[in-house]
Amino acid sequence: MSRTEVLDPEVGRTLSALSASAKRGLGDPALAELVVIRASQLNHCAFCLDMHLGIAREHGVSEKQLDLLAAWEEAEGVYDERERAALALTEAVTVLTEGFVPDAVWATAAEQFDDGQLAHLIGLVVAINNWNRVMVARRIPPGGHRP
Amino acid sequence: MTTEETVRYAPEHTPRLSWAQHAPEVYKAMLRLDTAARRGLDPRLLELVKIRASQLNHCAFCLDMHSKDALAAGESVERIIQLGAWEESKHFYTEKEAAALELTDAVTVLTDGFVPDEVYDHAAKHFEEAELAQLIAAITVINAWNRFGVTCRMVPGHYEAGKHQ
Repeated sequence: MSRTEVLDPEVGRTLSALSASAKRGLGDPALAELVVIRASQLNHCAFCLDMHLGIAREHGVSEKQLDLLAAWEEAEGVYDERERAALALTEAVTVLTEGFVPDAVWATAAEQFDDGQLAHLIGLVVAINNWNRVMVARRIPPGGHRP
Repeated sequence: MTTEETVRYAPEHTPRLSWAQHAPEVYKAMLRLDTAARRGLDPRLLELVKIRASQLNHCAFCLDMHSKDALAAGESVERIIQLGAWEESKHFYTEKEAAALELTDAVTVLTDGFVPDEVYDHAAKHFEEAELAQLIAAITVINAWNRFGVTCRMVPGHYEAGKHQ
């Protein structure tokens, strides 16, 4: 049985509005793409990876940063402190079923981001987790996104 | 134990961040998304789905809210309690509800794998296409609220039924 391609238009619009407002509030498009790609790796969203790897390159994210993202913790010198704090928070917020968001992860993020940035960063992680879910659940194939 | 004895509970934690105040546009978008995703779904089923996802994601604030809302809407205590082990208490639920709970589990725990074909197909047998799309959206939305709630350590216990409906 094939899966549905249906997504209610208003649901689609509001998912987009959520992503856009979070990204705008974070104010760092390159970092936003790293966050979004890392969450999509964890959630195994092929559509989202394809789409956001393309957007990341348009924003000038380096090939090295994209190549090593799945092992960012072990990639010394590739990501700065702010990026590392954001990636650690992204992972914790994405993998909720295995525990909570650790205090240490939160504290590190709170050192690098002010409250407004932090709220939007969380919003961005939530927003890509939304897209990952609606795409993976319906098995939407990669390659459908046209910039 | 006497009735005079006072039980001392652990102190209440404080939330980490009032995210909605710091990101009002994000909060507004979440409210609109929530409204859009619940259209066409049975409200009783929706609360079961919300409670089940909140259990998996350990969102205390969301469990407090949705258990209270479910009870206020006439849901039984037994059906709420058994959600934690719904696979072993399927006779508390209709087959349609059980299919929705199965899909809720699969869509919520994405990091362990994909959404299995048999789970999807089972849901597709009980929900027509547009309703199934809304169910997927609704599961997604409670996952979103769970993420805000857990990450910001929103405090459970103060919700009054119907406040956010």
